[in-house]
Amino acid sequence: MLSDIITPDLFASAIRMTTPIALAAIGGTICERSGIVNIALEGMMLFGAFMAVVGTTWFGGNPWMGVIVAVIAGGLLALIHAFASITLRSDQVVSGTAINILALGLTGFFMEIIFGRPGSTDAVARLQPVFSISGPTEGLLGTVWTWLDTVIFSYTPIVYMAIIIAIVGQWAMYHTRWGLRLRALGEHPLAVDTVGINVARGRYSAVIISGFLGGLAGANLTLEQVGTFTENMTNGRGFIALAANIFGRWTPAGSYLASLLFGFADALQVKMQLFRDVVAIPYQFFLMLPYVLTVIVLAGVMGRAVAPAAIGKPYNKE
Amino acid sequence: MTPEEAIEISDGRWRSAIEELIVPIISVIIAVFISGLIIWAVGYDPVAAIAALLKGAFGGGRQIGETLMRATPLMFTGLAVAYGFRAGLFNIGAEGQLFMGGLVAAWLGIALAGLPWIINIPLILIGGAAAGAAWAFIPALLKARVGAHEVITTMMFTYIARYFVSWLVTGPMKAEGQIPQTEALPPESVLPRIHETLPFLTSSRLHWGFVIAVILAVGLWLLLKYTTLGYEARAVGFNPWASETGGISVEATIVKSLCISGALAGLAGVTEVIAVHGRLFDQFSSGFGFTGIAVALLAKNNPLGVIAAAILFGALSAGSGTMQLEADVPAKLIFIIQALIIFFVAAEVFAKWIVRPFRKKVADSA
Repeated sequence: MLSDIITPDLFASAIRMTTPIALAAIGGTICERSGIVNIALEGMMLFGAFMAVVGTTWFGGNPWMGVIVAVIAGGLLALIHAFASITLRSDQVVSGTAINILALGLTGFFMEIIFGRPGSTDAVARLQPVFSISGPTEGLLGTVWTWLDTVIFSYTPIVYMAIIIAIVGQWAMYHTRWGLRLRALGEHPLAVDTVGINVARGRYSAVIISGFLGGLAGANLTLEQVGTFTENMTNGRGFIALAANIFGRWTPAGSYLASLLFGFADALQVKMQLFRDVVAIPYQFFLMLPYVLTVIVLAGVMGRAVAPAAIGKPYNKE
Repeated sequence: MTPEEAIEISDGRWRSAIEELIVPIISVIIAVFISGLIIWAVGYDPVAAIAALLKGAFGGGRQIGETLMRATPLMFTGLAVAYGFRAGLFNIGAEGQLFMGGLVAAWLGIALAGLPWIINIPLILIGGAAAGAAWAFIPALLKARVGAHEVITTMMFTYIARYFVSWLVTGPMKAEGQIPQTEALPPESVLPRIHETLPFLTSSRLHWGFVIAVILAVGLWLLLKYTTLGYEARAVGFNPWASETGGISVEATIVKSLCISGALAGLAGVTEVIAVHGRLFDQFSSGFGFTGIAVALLAKNNPLGVIAAAILFGALSAGSGTMQLEADVPAKLIFIIQALIIFFVAAEVFAKWIVRPFRKKVADSA
């Protein structure tokens, strides 16, 4: 049975399921490094997922246009969060909650307006895998190639984008002026202000980037994984992403690696459901797995992970 | 306006009381106005929509009863979230505690069949509250001991609770038949409807849980104001470091407060099961735990304010069906209204900015 579970497909599925969580987690990292808490990633992802379908439909079935619309949509919700938490100095967790409820309302409301029914949207064209390489199929070489092809070359564009964003983000956070400023914003905004950098502008851009990434995560869900939008389809991934961001110690690469854990748990639970009759465990318990894992990880890592010092505190210039 | 009246208005206590009310009221008005703009922008008639909504919420005894029925679980979850906020805790997972409360209510309701209602109902209420408290206990402990944020942990526990209930109603607790639900509760475990006593409410589903919720709100207001338990919760919410220095155990207060919050949320699940549906199934809550957040914020975490805020959201929920039927506007609009209300209450500068010119006039005329 084990050889039926541990297949190249399990690992490929883990990488695919890691993608939306990782993108949102990196978004959370960038946002929180600037000092703004973002529990609205769930809503940004949900809205992005919906707008990806709407965008694709609008532009004659071109999923790339859907991706662009999703990214912009995520950014727009982030702009509201930025305005509320930076300009109006509202409570950031409360503003994030409002965004999550707003996303639920907007997607539900406009689904009925645009698609004429509640529940789910029409199916749209999906993004196709980037590579299609043929290799040997026979013998040991064939087995090796099947693993390589499935685990490395089988993915759709946003899956690769997420990996690139994690690597570039990690580099930028520690080797560019942007990264230095971002980290300073969340640790000591007064120091940033003193040297003449606009704290509000820096934080606005960080929050909006997190919205772009949340929207991209949503596009991955609808345009690469499912092909349609269903109500509340993000299912807590935005919150799991926040845990991954903490587990990854507020770094882009760390966030990606931590998300792998949740992606793998997700892939495993889907795979295990196929063996329902063999293992005799109700499928609901498999579905619980990523959420239980999140609590365990958070319980284990907290107290040792140190959050940015100025996180959640509005910056008052006076 | 006479100078005496102006002086009375400018008297500090009155002014702060008025300001406490003005921000929520103006927030609701702006939220409804913007929602009207959205309705108009997508091509429907906002006036007809709002008229239909009001008709569906307050158009007669039955409608008023339905509004108050829908307000009942929101009162419990609103109190739950408000109590948490008072102690500086954001119980975003009230929905999960509600599920566990409903689950234990259904289990006890069936298990206690045959006993008189005077024993059953109190036992079920206590059992459901205990289940909600228990479901909040692990997140509370993790928050107190290692600082794991309750927003993430209680949210995760909500998903776990939903799948757990889903398993029970499709498996061990499932009644005969195709539908995944428990069997109906025996009459001695059912909380009766009020229209059996007050015929004015013509066959609405309003039940005595509403009265329990109102009494609880008043009780909680007194508890926060006059007891050590309430004082400690408020102190820790206001400044945990100072509280610790002042001899309050912050860890213990966090655990107690989140468990009390969970118990209140659990009661929302109890009344939905033993009074509204009479059984448990996996979709028995339409997000009452999450709407409870909006209720608490609109009430500015005041238990008495929760009563009014819950009735407002109950009315939106009861009226949204009529709005969809008569004005064709999707009922999901109420989530947009909800989100907008939270925004404007949280960013109170908006409301204050709107009332400022009026207040200036009052001061000038004095």
